[in-house]
Amino acid sequence: MSQLSRREFATLAAAAAVAPLTLRASRAIALSVQDVIDRIKKQLGVEWKAETVDGLKAGEPAAAVTGIVTTSIATMTVLQQAVNAGSNLVITSHPTFYSRGDAKTPPAGRGGGLPAPDAVFTAKDAFVTKNNLAIFRLSDHWRLRQPSPAAQGIAAAMGWSKASAADPTRVDVAAVSLDALAADVKKRLNLRGGLRVIGDPQLRVQRIGLLPGSTPLAAALKLLPDVDAIVAGEVREWESVEYARDQVTEKQRKALILVGRIASEEPGMELCASWVKTFVPEVAVRHIAAGDPYWRPA
Amino acid sequence: MITAGEVIERIKKNLGVPWRDATYRDTFKFGGPETVVTGIATTVFCSFDLVRRASAAGLNMIIPHEATYWSDRDDVAMVSGDPLYKTKADFMRERNIAVFRIHDHMHAQRPDFTYVGLARELGLTKYETAPGSHRFLLPETTLGALAAQIAKQSGARALRVVGDPNAKVSRLQLGVGYASPPINNAEVDVVISGEQQEADGSLDSPAYVLDAVTLGIAKGWIMLGHAISEEPGMLEMAEWIKGFVPEVPVRLVRAGEPFWAPK
Repeated sequence: MSQLSRREFATLAAAAAVAPLTLRASRAIALSVQDVIDRIKKQLGVEWKAETVDGLKAGEPAAAVTGIVTTSIATMTVLQQAVNAGSNLVITSHPTFYSRGDAKTPPAGRGGGLPAPDAVFTAKDAFVTKNNLAIFRLSDHWRLRQPSPAAQGIAAAMGWSKASAADPTRVDVAAVSLDALAADVKKRLNLRGGLRVIGDPQLRVQRIGLLPGSTPLAAALKLLPDVDAIVAGEVREWESVEYARDQVTEKQRKALILVGRIASEEPGMELCASWVKTFVPEVAVRHIAAGDPYWRPA
Repeated sequence: MITAGEVIERIKKNLGVPWRDATYRDTFKFGGPETVVTGIATTVFCSFDLVRRASAAGLNMIIPHEATYWSDRDDVAMVSGDPLYKTKADFMRERNIAVFRIHDHMHAQRPDFTYVGLARELGLTKYETAPGSHRFLLPETTLGALAAQIAKQSGARALRVVGDPNAKVSRLQLGVGYASPPINNAEVDVVISGEQQEADGSLDSPAYVLDAVTLGIAKGWIMLGHAISEEPGMLEMAEWIKGFVPEVPVRLVRAGEPFWAPK
């Protein structure tokens, strides 16, 4: 299912060919967390930024890697599953400690007072330490890669094989009603309550635009005029949601499907596992889905 | 006869807190002080559909809590190249519409009608622990039963919930709009709020609640959506304006929830 580029495929084949040699070497010299990070930075094709949310959020750079897990968000459940699978390096798209800064303590209270110890922060940090987990956030730089891996991932998960290789954010499909498309998105992205839709359920959709992650109004302004429907992760409700609503009022035959930020980046992180595999042949690399956080009462 | 400018002067006079001229939010978004008012519609979002319905009902002054041109700053430069902007503006011009947003001053006012209205609509008012605390002590229930009740009361079709449906909850903190109370407050079991980003905030509620559940800590989060959370208070806003603008009809015209969700 992965839509690796021709170059990446060649790298994968080459890596497979040299794997036995590398594996022999790995018995002598363990693969460190830093080794994996260095290879990721080298392979990204994107210059590493000075200001970024990406980087090692927990664990030691010198620690030996036993296995790698990629995920959209390193929830406690994902971490437990990683440990059970014998993996100690987790590559996550979203924060581990509930904020942009990934601080292992809660934000200060009103007035700047010291926060009380928080049971969830404390227990998660303790679990990470106890299991010698290393957590590497890969978000800003993953998003900068072209073509967009997050869009490639969604197109692959949706079975949209006709997605443009050069620009996977644009897909043409056989005409389908919006309600059927929404149901298909829900099924194929394993969503529960996170899916929300704006538009006429009977609208015929052929041209689809993808906006994974969190995107501002400017992205919708640019894309929606050229497509019938956008499948997006997260937008501000006073921006793209209202813009889409007004488009629908004006009978512009448009739609917006929101799947949630975390869910929208999960297929891309599945591709990330396939990608990391191509240059880290020494250990198992697998993807573990965090799942749709939301449910809705019946 | 009353003008939009006179309505705004009366709002400022009756507000009970000083008007901050520095606000970029609470200004005219279309029309101006000289527009003669035939009737006033309060609403949460100045959506095109809402403008059409208000106008058809003879209400040409719209007082929304949120934006008109799809951004917080109602940045016309960003959208003026879009044909939809022109269509919406032309419609408002033809129908002699005036739009004045009331956001910052509505939240500064006491009580803040957004909270009063939401608590009323959700049937929570009698459970508030102290006026203005936005904290409610409910008879013990489960998160699943509470969420079902809230969905019914609010009419929200696309409400979203995080947490264990079987978790026992009774201590509730209410948030509105884009202001979610901290979910990690040890004295709170469940937060009901409008809209929040999923990640890279200062305390990302969905991720926190997912982990709390895994760790056996009973927490729940019910997210109504921005419009659902702040529209009810626009009824209180209409009633309040009616008290000092007797010349024309004043009423809530709902923009409504923008979303639906497949089964």
